[in-house]
Amino acid sequence: MRKILAITAKEIYTVFRDRNLILLMFATPLVLSTIIGLAFGGIGDSDVPDFAAIPVAVVNHDEGVDLQETINLQDQFANLDALPFNLEDIGLPSELSGFGPNPLLQSGSELNFGDILAGILLSQPITGTATLGGAEFDVAQFECTLLGTPEETGAASFAAEGSLDDLLDATAVHDAKQARAAVESGEFAAAVIIPPGFSRRMVPQFAFDEGGRLYTQPADETGSVEVYANNGRPISSRILHSIVAGVINQFERVNVALSATLETSVNTLVDSLAVGDVDLSAVNLPATAAALQGLDATTLEPLGCLIAPGGNNVTVAQQPLVALQEAPPFARIIVPIGAAQAVFFALFTGVFGMNSIYEERKYWTLQRLIVSPTPRSYLLAGKLLGNLAVVFLQILILQAALTLVASLVLGVPTFIWGTNIAALMTVTLALALCVSGLGVFVVGLAKTPEQVQLFGPMINISLAVLGGAFGFALPEQAARFSLIYWGVDAYVDLSLSRPDVSLNILVLFCQGIALFFLGTWLFKRRIDL
Amino acid sequence: MQTMVETRNLRKTYSRPDGSTIEAVKGVNLVIRQGEIFSLLGPNGAGKTTTISMISGLVAPTAGDATVGGHSITAEPMAAKRLMGFVPQEIALYPELSARQNLAFFGRMYGMRGKTLSRRVDELLEFVDLADRQNDRIDTFSGGMKRRVNLAAGLLNSPPLIYMDEPTVGIDPQSRRRILDTVKMLRDEQDMTVLYTTHLMEEAQELSDRVAIIDHGEIIAMGTQAELTQQVGEEDRLEITTGGQDVGEALIERMQQEIAGLTRVLYNPPEQIGDNDSESTPARLTIFAKRGRTALPQIIQTLDAAGIDIQSVEVREPDLEAVFLALTGRALRD
Repeated sequence: MRKILAITAKEIYTVFRDRNLILLMFATPLVLSTIIGLAFGGIGDSDVPDFAAIPVAVVNHDEGVDLQETINLQDQFANLDALPFNLEDIGLPSELSGFGPNPLLQSGSELNFGDILAGILLSQPITGTATLGGAEFDVAQFECTLLGTPEETGAASFAAEGSLDDLLDATAVHDAKQARAAVESGEFAAAVIIPPGFSRRMVPQFAFDEGGRLYTQPADETGSVEVYANNGRPISSRILHSIVAGVINQFERVNVALSATLETSVNTLVDSLAVGDVDLSAVNLPATAAALQGLDATTLEPLGCLIAPGGNNVTVAQQPLVALQEAPPFARIIVPIGAAQAVFFALFTGVFGMNSIYEERKYWTLQRLIVSPTPRSYLLAGKLLGNLAVVFLQILILQAALTLVASLVLGVPTFIWGTNIAALMTVTLALALCVSGLGVFVVGLAKTPEQVQLFGPMINISLAVLGGAFGFALPEQAARFSLIYWGVDAYVDLSLSRPDVSLNILVLFCQGIALFFLGTWLFKRRIDL
Repeated sequence: MQTMVETRNLRKTYSRPDGSTIEAVKGVNLVIRQGEIFSLLGPNGAGKTTTISMISGLVAPTAGDATVGGHSITAEPMAAKRLMGFVPQEIALYPELSARQNLAFFGRMYGMRGKTLSRRVDELLEFVDLADRQNDRIDTFSGGMKRRVNLAAGLLNSPPLIYMDEPTVGIDPQSRRRILDTVKMLRDEQDMTVLYTTHLMEEAQELSDRVAIIDHGEIIAMGTQAELTQQVGEEDRLEITTGGQDVGEALIERMQQEIAGLTRVLYNPPEQIGDNDSESTPARLTIFAKRGRTALPQIIQTLDAAGIDIQSVEVREPDLEAVFLALTGRALRD
């Protein structure tokens, strides 16, 4: 192990002794990021965000969802024959027609998530169209009592924190084609197009199976919200995308919780009826139905949890907006730009660091090492570990330097990468593994150092283009092929205090390990003389 | 004397890009005894470096094996490598590190550390007379100084055996003299076994207890210098460079018939150098004769009568060059 560490230390030392390399590794990305940051972010920490008033078109075609259809108990009564007990045995009439339509969910009880999303984006009061038993309720008035009061929970407030009004200049547009054309012409940075089936997708569809068990039907995949972005304004588009994703994520989390709760509750009730734990014969059905007709808005109280910040552990969705509005423009822009440049230049370190094996062969230092009583696997491990450490340090040092630059530009100490240091380190390590693994792979694949010098930059530049390191964004599906995308995305999330970067870390680690093993297998040949 | 290195039918075959193969070393058998300087002498491309690379574990032999101190280089490579030091032809040092850092790093690769390593580095820096430059980067050193650090790096583990692959290539005469003296000192004072490769006959003659002459991947002669020169007898060697005139077969035959004591005559015609027609090596006539100095006037007379311009004449005592020439028909420098 000492020999491996000695080789690793030598690798790190020789890299950091090379002034030209230092210039390429640190000065170039730092200067580039600073120039771009100053050009687009300006100097100072103005309270007015630079990305204020991002022009956005909001097209809402959502038809809403009829809760009667959604929780379609009536149509499912045919399946009640399959219940594990006789209705008469538990005091219910064998024919349920006398029970009448579900008083709570009679036709006309509907909910429109598109309206809620559009209302948030347009910074309008949320006037949901939730109706119950023919009465209409203002969704914005709902409170999430599951959370208790602010005093009880210590939460700052349930009211919406911050407003999108400063950040977005949203305009309601009725035609999707017209909105897309306006985005292409530059009138809008992006358009949010809410499809007709959005609410149907958001609300779980319940049904009884043939065994009398309640289950959730798969969501309708056709109801995805489209964020149609202008390629010339990638950062604005990205911000908008994050907002939309955050809100929808909040909806989905609550729905998952609600469907799980409903399934469990109904199935527990059915089980209890089956074993006779519950006696329904004492229930006065007509009276119950009448009582249900008189329910007020509190019945829809759980809907408040869809909207209230902090509901069902979804506080993260609201935080980015606050962070975005609080962060000075330079700090906001230097994170994605600086991270992309850091990773882009680290890619060169990864490839050319491994390519140094050819230098070692040329100068016979590799031969001297092989003749020493040091197994070749140790030489390889030391070399790989050294490269990994150099890349890791390069990214970390660039992050520190960018923080310093941001602090100098803004005039106050500003740690631009967020406060989750552990996650930041993990992302950087995963990224270093991935970058270093790519270097091993490229050098292992190439037959000569000349091939490395040709293919290395080609691959790196391709990844940079895909990952948006040159300032223009490709479709996300394409960007996902680039480790730069995953790295920058994670850094931006962390800088905005979004803690969930686990997918990014997973993708980077898996990619890194796969490249490392494959590259090592290929690279072994380079140590044979 | 104990055997330090032994090779058995050591072969190395390389594949060419066109699919054909080239046999660089063709079944070399050597026995090197402890405490001797053993030289592998041969022209460039003869297979010296490939042979030494196989014995040192740098490249795997295609066939055969070598043992170092009784340890097989293929079966017990680490045990064998612990007994050897290596001084390659190239300056195998990190140019961006100082002399001390280089020695310390390679010392760690031999498992040395702490004060033991530090002391050994100090000793070696004194030994190669570079203690005052120990903290300077290698890339600031002269060629001779680099060679000395290169040598020191091969001595880090105080090995009983050291390989030296043409360690005096490309250095000034003063540094060369220093290295040759050091090699002799290693044998005489430290009882070290030295396997030395060179294409310079003078070095092999000065240093070696025994010599193996290698050509086209094969050992063509092996023994002490006395044993090898005996192979060409007590003959003198006359080196005559001539003008551009062609020395024909008939003239060579006539000289052998008419001049007493001539045993062999070799003729190397002039060779063009590069693309320039006006530049060529001089024609060279090598004549082996029992009493060279006695035969010389008659040889000159014969050549003169045949209209051959004589530019220089040199009479040489039997040496390794003569052995190589006698065995291969070519000079070492060819």
